[in-house]
Amino acid sequence: MSKTVFAAAAIAVMAMAGSAAAQQPASKLDEILARGHLVMGTGSTNAPWHFKSADDKLQGFDVDMGRIIAKALFGDPEKIEFVNQSSDARIPNITTNKVDITCQFMTVTGERAQQIAFTIPYYREGVGLMLKADGKYADYAALKAAGSSVTVSVLQNVYAEAMVHAALPEATVDQYESVDLIYQALESGRADTVATDQSSLAWYMTQNPDRYKDAGYGWNPQTYACGVKRGDQDWLNFVNTALHEAMTGVEFDFYAKSFKTWFGKDLTPPQIGFPVEYK
Amino acid sequence: MDIPAFLDQLWLARIPLLKGLGVSISISFLSILVGTVLGVFVGLALTYGYRPVQWIVRGYTDFIRGTPVLVLVLASYYVLSTIGIDLGPFQAGILALSIFCSSHVGELVRGALQAIPKGQTEAAKAIGLTFSQTFLYVLGPQAMRQALPAWVNTAAEMVKASTLLSIIGVAELLLRTQELISRTFMSLEFYFFAGFLYFVINYSIERFGRYVERKTAVSS
Repeated sequence: MSKTVFAAAAIAVMAMAGSAAAQQPASKLDEILARGHLVMGTGSTNAPWHFKSADDKLQGFDVDMGRIIAKALFGDPEKIEFVNQSSDARIPNITTNKVDITCQFMTVTGERAQQIAFTIPYYREGVGLMLKADGKYADYAALKAAGSSVTVSVLQNVYAEAMVHAALPEATVDQYESVDLIYQALESGRADTVATDQSSLAWYMTQNPDRYKDAGYGWNPQTYACGVKRGDQDWLNFVNTALHEAMTGVEFDFYAKSFKTWFGKDLTPPQIGFPVEYK
Repeated sequence: MDIPAFLDQLWLARIPLLKGLGVSISISFLSILVGTVLGVFVGLALTYGYRPVQWIVRGYTDFIRGTPVLVLVLASYYVLSTIGIDLGPFQAGILALSIFCSSHVGELVRGALQAIPKGQTEAAKAIGLTFSQTFLYVLGPQAMRQALPAWVNTAAEMVKASTLLSIIGVAELLLRTQELISRTFMSLEFYFFAGFLYFVINYSIERFGRYVERKTAVSS
């Protein structure tokens, strides 16, 4: 008798476990495919990453990364809805399911990686130095040799002084409150060089061709990657595949065209033959 | 400051700026409207409610008034979604600002009602008016006159608080302005212009308040 009860109970438990496994929530990937469009979180106030064109359309390198993923999902880079979010909202909007993915110049750090899952990187940011094309100093070596007579304009920041001194130990550091002012300082001659993110410099030089040049030195590396919710390996794998193939495979032209538009540089196509990943 | 270049950019950006202005005005208008209606009930409950009701409403106003608006905005956008109420940024923003507005208006209404001498209520009772009649014909109009200047102040605060919705991605005037600055690098010029527009909105509210004050004034 007790054996029968036990067997019945065991069957019931197994049935429950079975149905629980069947009801396991499907991956975000299936959810997005069923919905018919991707929901990506990004900002709207940082050129050349995510900003509005003169006719009020969202554009930039982050935006293009979203389009690459949308194209991988639906064969159509337009099947994407952007959620406008501030930088502070990047992680909360992922963890509370407001967005499927966030691509918003997010620096990969160990602290953040505990809260969200990072995709593979799509850009490596670093600080660079911009000079006037016809200025007194030719390149980084000349700036360094000039010692304390060089004035560097930089965005106001607690770490600004230390950041500049890591590359130019003796330089005079002038801090300004906004991006337009650091460029203005260089233009008016109050500063000899501007130190800020290389992507910002690249964009500014693309906007003002032949007036400025890069000093040819970069430091303070930071990795930019998209973020998704933790615990959904299927979705993470899909995004990784899409981004990886944009940088090395079928969508390379899409990626390279975007890179050229926002950073003004031509990329050499990945070498054919042995995969570049293992070189 | 390069004025012609700025005017050029301003003209180019007129549509996004007008849209932002429109969103800012609708946020302010809706939250002042909802907040005022709710606030009148809060004020009534604070003044005439039964003891337990008074305690609950007092807790509500004290809690809301003691919380920064930004926290309310973030809470209605994020915390509500964890219990299944998924509001868009615009709705969440209106909710937060309306609740904030209602707690302030509630206190204004309470103060105004309590400032009316007791004799008024007693006289109304003596001639046989019901409670709602007393409020509508005797206390309400007097309280409104009393609360109006402070209400104008609260309304102007709400317009200023609407800028906080840019944090959760509502494309109101401030966010639109920041979008323009990121493209044009003209921070001083565009922030100044946005400041001017906010001043115009608040000045209009103030003029409207003065107008109503004049219309409702008792000639002495």
